[in-house]
Amino acid sequence: MITRAADLPADLREYVHDLILVLADTKRLLGMRYAEWILGAPELEAGIACASMSQDEWGHGRLLYALLKDFGDDVDAIEHGREPSAYRSMQALDRAPVSWPELVALNALADTALSNQLEALTASTYVPLRQRVQKILDEEQFHTAHGRAWFTRLARAGDDTRAELAAAVSRYIPDVLAWFGNESDAARAFRNASIVDAAASDLRARYLQSIAPLLADVGAGDAVTSIEPDWNGFDESTRRYAGSAPDEETIRRIRGDKNRAFLMD
Amino acid sequence: MIYEVFARKARGEPLRHIGNLNAPDDALAGIYAYNTYDEEKWFDIWVAPRDRFVEVYNVERGPVAPVDRAPTPAASRGGTSAGATVAS
Repeated sequence: MITRAADLPADLREYVHDLILVLADTKRLLGMRYAEWILGAPELEAGIACASMSQDEWGHGRLLYALLKDFGDDVDAIEHGREPSAYRSMQALDRAPVSWPELVALNALADTALSNQLEALTASTYVPLRQRVQKILDEEQFHTAHGRAWFTRLARAGDDTRAELAAAVSRYIPDVLAWFGNESDAARAFRNASIVDAAASDLRARYLQSIAPLLADVGAGDAVTSIEPDWNGFDESTRRYAGSAPDEETIRRIRGDKNRAFLMD
Repeated sequence: MIYEVFARKARGEPLRHIGNLNAPDDALAGIYAYNTYDEEKWFDIWVAPRDRFVEVYNVERGPVAPVDRAPTPAASRGGTSAGATVAS
């Protein structure tokens, strides 16, 4: 059991640090994507659900960013000082969803992937992470349920809606699958030290299993399970492809640039 | 479809009506109830479609015995004195 970042073996310390930042940034971006639909969701109740999920994601992000302090990071600078290119959020979240089916696809696919990765940390030997994961996963149950219920509803709503949902799935799924990462020496060391309970390819398989009923709903099962992520240009530490970044405007809003002058402390 | 939402603060307390919401099915009704009525910490939360409530007695109209009613599908009920509609 490891309770302080300083006690992590040197070769694993950076890997744990990177994973925490990937999870925190992904939660922050996902929270933004949900927030953008508080107004404009198809029914008031769905807007409230987006508000609630957004609030959860931002809270989880905060919880995770705070863990970086023990690694010597300036958490405030991380939260409010970075350029888009420094973000390690899941690439599927780089652009705001332009339609409700896209938001539902992100909810059902990206949020679930994030939870699958967190589940693999519930027995982590790195205690600070393990202690926070269960609370996060408890709250995530309703995100998964919301994503699934809406996904199924749209998949059965008629041919046009189903086609739009299927298009959103094929747009997002390659990035989501790659996000779990490649089999590297560092990833194996990580698994062997029981920081995480499964290798990247096992996590990807677990994930595919958990979303299989949804993929079947849009007739995408075979097409998706046969995808082999393209590791060309993929960076294991950021879990993104080189040269990609979330959109500028979203990051400006996350940082609070526009009204920074009103910070009085 | 309109769902009525009930909750209680602690084990053993009676269920209390806390509001209603719109949802297409039971699954989303439950999710929406959890998200919408989360200002307080509940012991448990329940939802039921409004049109499944059966009126039994009204002080002005007297007993509204369920046995007097023809067994009609839930969707066609409502509007008459025999049709059960819980006021919101």
